[in-house]
Amino acid sequence: MFRTAMDRVYRWAQKNSIWVLSFNTGGCNGCDIEILDLLTPRYDVERLGIMAEASPRHADVLLCTGPVTRQARSGLWQIYSQMPSPKWVVAVGSCSNTGGMFLDSETVLGGVDSVLPVDVYIPGCPCRPEAIIEGLVNLIERI
Amino acid sequence: MAESLFYLLIFPGITFQLVCGWFFEWFDRKLQARFQRRVGPRWFQPLADLLKLFSKEDLLPSGANEFAAAALPLISLGAVLTAGVYVPIAGFSPASFEGDLIVIIFLLSVPTLAYYLAGIISAGIYSVLGGGRSLLQFFSYEVPLLIALSGPAVMAGTWSIREISSIQAEMGPFVLFQPIGFILAVVGLIGKLKRSPLDIPKAKSEVVAGSLTEFGGVKLAIWNTVMNIQAVVGIFLLVNLYSSWSGIVAPVLAVPVFFLESVLMIFVLSAASAVFARLRIDQLAGLGWKVLVPLALLQLLVVILMGV
Repeated sequence: MFRTAMDRVYRWAQKNSIWVLSFNTGGCNGCDIEILDLLTPRYDVERLGIMAEASPRHADVLLCTGPVTRQARSGLWQIYSQMPSPKWVVAVGSCSNTGGMFLDSETVLGGVDSVLPVDVYIPGCPCRPEAIIEGLVNLIERI
Repeated sequence: MAESLFYLLIFPGITFQLVCGWFFEWFDRKLQARFQRRVGPRWFQPLADLLKLFSKEDLLPSGANEFAAAALPLISLGAVLTAGVYVPIAGFSPASFEGDLIVIIFLLSVPTLAYYLAGIISAGIYSVLGGGRSLLQFFSYEVPLLIALSGPAVMAGTWSIREISSIQAEMGPFVLFQPIGFILAVVGLIGKLKRSPLDIPKAKSEVVAGSLTEFGGVKLAIWNTVMNIQAVVGIFLLVNLYSSWSGIVAPVLAVPVFFLESVLMIFVLSAASAVFARLRIDQLAGLGWKVLVPLALLQLLVVILMGV
């Protein structure tokens, strides 16, 4: 009884406090600039409890941008394993979803889901800030 | 017995400090958001952050000292909560004694030293850098802060915060006589709280999150609580030392005026964060020793000459 009540409280807290770490696995920086837009007055995501963090130990959500290159794979895995669970991965942009236009390159492994389990895919090249917010809200609803 | 337990656990103690700390964090973030024309966080944001961190896995890098990593945030929390009990709230202080100002100054320095140690023991490059920076910053702001805070004590002729705050009913608020000292104390407080523009030890773009880079989950939650309560105690302390109106205004108004002044202090701190850019560590050391210390000594000299 007490346990389930605590679980509900914790789930409420997790829904309302999402700290985000963004990681570029080898993209063109377009999506990163769209992610930065989320912090600006126009899109301000702090009103949803979403905050940008710099350390993977503090983060709940890993926002990945860009196709996963051979070089970035170990780094991506390392960052993900440094995050304390419960944790979620969001693939931002077409490259991050599938590998995008770089899929056939021999240095590209594909989308983020070739390395990590992805919870939300946000398409677009680059995706609009509104789309990123919608993706994050979808994630919040599924927590 | 029951009375002391109430003092410790409810009113000037843990519960009151925690609630004030949450209010401080929310109000500060909201103000900074409004300064940047954003909407800002919702009112329950600090509570949600805290509970979220409690629900997370507790991870530390291999090579970190687990015992010290668990003990340091708890020691700091104990130190700031103890300091909170000794600070009078609108003239009410159940545990006041002669010399408690010195004890509070010491207790408020404990989190900084623990922060340095936390950086050293958590086995990460950014943590060690942040820890070293925090110690260097400590040596820059602490001396002018101490000299500035001794101004009200010298003027009142006592080291008890309650006496200093009540003597202002006769002499008038000390901020009128020591404006420079007050400004120096605010700068020192910003340095102590490691807030922007003096957030050198935890500069996001330089050392990730400073000493706390490798801390997550419950430990990070306790560290955040420590920072909030440290801010609250520091603000209450400055209000008591420099601008205590509790003996001047009508007794009914003493409590509202006290909290209004505290809120104004949060406003000042947030505005400083929103307006100024971060200093480099050498700039801070230069500012501390070449500008703030001489000004503080000058203020102290004026105070002593006024008393003669």
